[in-house]
Amino acid sequence: MTSVIRTRKLVKTFSKGLRALDEISMEVKKKEVLVVMGPSGSGKSTLIRTFNGLETFDSGELEIVGIPLHSDHNERNVREIRKRVGMVFQQFNLFPHLSILENITLAPIKVQKQNRIEAEEHAMSLLSQMGIITQARKYPSQLSGGEQQRVAIARALALKPELLLFDEPTSALDPERVGEVLDAIRSLAEKGMTMVVVTHEVGFAKEVADKVLFMDSGKVIETSTPEVFFTNAKHERSRKFLNQIGE
Amino acid sequence: MNKKHNLFPYIRRIAFSNSLDTCITLFILLAVFLLSTITIKWLLFGADWAVVIQNYPLYAFGLFPADQRWRPALWLLLLISLTIITLVGPRWRWLRKLLPITWIGVIPLGIVLLSGGLGLLPVASRYWGGVTLTIFLTTCSSLLAFPLGIILAIGRQSDLPLIKFFSSIYIEALRAVPLIAILFFGQLLIPLFFPIGVEINRVIRAVLAFTLFVSAYVAEDIRGGFQSIPKSQEEAAKALGLSKLQITQFVILPQALIIALPALTNQAIGLLQNTSLMAILGLVELLGISRSILANPLFIGRYMEVYVWLAGIYWLICTVMALLASHLEQKVTIEKLTIKN
Ligand SMILES: Nc1ncnc2c1ncn2[C@@H]1O[C@H](COP(=O)(O)OP(=O)(O)OP(=O)(O)O)[C@@H](O)[C@H]1O
Ligand SMILES: [Mg+2]
Repeated sequence: MTSVIRTRKLVKTFSKGLRALDEISMEVKKKEVLVVMGPSGSGKSTLIRTFNGLETFDSGELEIVGIPLHSDHNERNVREIRKRVGMVFQQFNLFPHLSILENITLAPIKVQKQNRIEAEEHAMSLLSQMGIITQARKYPSQLSGGEQQRVAIARALALKPELLLFDEPTSALDPERVGEVLDAIRSLAEKGMTMVVVTHEVGFAKEVADKVLFMDSGKVIETSTPEVFFTNAKHERSRKFLNQIGE
Repeated sequence: MNKKHNLFPYIRRIAFSNSLDTCITLFILLAVFLLSTITIKWLLFGADWAVVIQNYPLYAFGLFPADQRWRPALWLLLLISLTIITLVGPRWRWLRKLLPITWIGVIPLGIVLLSGGLGLLPVASRYWGGVTLTIFLTTCSSLLAFPLGIILAIGRQSDLPLIKFFSSIYIEALRAVPLIAILFFGQLLIPLFFPIGVEINRVIRAVLAFTLFVSAYVAEDIRGGFQSIPKSQEEAAKALGLSKLQITQFVILPQALIIALPALTNQAIGLLQNTSLMAILGLVELLGISRSILANPLFIGRYMEVYVWLAGIYWLICTVMALLASHLEQKVTIEKLTIKN
């Protein structure tokens, strides 16, 4: 199986000398779903943001969808990666001045130079896949959080990515809205999408993850299948973390 | 106080609650009454409005030759129609695409219609005047200052130190100089930079001076807009593979303009009022033409009438601009920009 993400001894230091990423070596294969867990400040966001070049790193090796990325952060490679990797943020980050349809078609039209009709047709099919086709002409502020996040997923899917990154996609949602977003992500997993999901949703992780990666203080503590991680974690620190979040 | 039957107790409470309040209220009422009767009496019986009535064409077009007045009138009419079409916001995409080009065309069209050429009788710029000139100065300067301001604002945010440096210097320098000094510069110094014999129309020089001045303020307003857009917007756009230029063009700038819109329309209204400074420098725009009417022995001493009338016209134009602006703001803002990000 080909690997979609491969890192070796990835190190990232923020200004104060604190290692946000401390020699991270890991791999995600095609069609795999990796769930990343860890306490606050452990470096989860920093890690997945290096995967599409939103963060630079100091040393180590990184290869995303077959494209190498070095600490010099080559602009051409970064943009090539971003065209092939989608990202969904905790706060949705939709463009408030554009309609839902325009949010989704912006990148296909401007980056991939698709024609408008074609891009809109694809966008509508993505919206219907997300169950929000009736909202196409509205603006982000008119939608509920759960709907906005599903639009954000559709927007990330519009470039037909080979890899999707999620940074706590349900943390900003009302509890009753979490399910609809997780369902959407689950159905993508069933279709074989390769994904990295930072989340604290244990139920979701158990059901959808192929592997769980547990981080603390910028280090990978363990990588296990969800069966092992949630019932019989190898590491003391993992067990402590699971205790704290009530598992 | 939302029900009618509450009105009287409400008035009593705020205006007549004790004897001092009552005294003050009565005094103010008396003063208002006296002032308004005096004003109305003067407006109806005291004033001699001949100075206004006999000079309508002068107020409208200045000294523009009578048989050519259709030219400024046509330009103003086109400008008003274009404004209305823009504000209504046509449904058709092709028409919306045409609008920016049409707006750019407003300036050359105005110049041709006013100065002549292309088969039209030439009219020297000293004959341009009145409301036409006031609106010409305002429109052309705003239309030029807007894109220049955008470029300066983007320049000031640039990663390239040289561009950033020059944009900042320009903005800070122009904001540190009073407008009247820049207008003098435009009228007296700009000609020195050109070879003898090349004469640039005085009105165009004024437009350039206003443009230089206003663009610095426009740039600052837009920069304010840039700064209030969360960083997460840029990140979301980056994650979609958009280039730097595309991010500015499609994500950051449109939002910054919406946020800066109230400040920008204020600039336009302020600019209209500031064009009256050109009267000092010898242009016969609305204020200038009024002063030359007052210099006419026929209308000697009719200051009150002329200045009241003048105030009325400025008030009317500014109010219409403010109404259009607030309409535009509502239209653009309502559902789109309750930023939740
Ligand atoms: N821009 C930054 N500048 C300086 N330090 C930063 C920056 N971003 C993150 N850090 C630090 O890096 C470490 C890892 O942060 P990160 O956001 O990756 O954690 P996280 O696991 O995503 O936490 P959370 O669960 O709270 O989102 C933290 O100690 C944080 O304070
Ligand atoms: Mg985080």
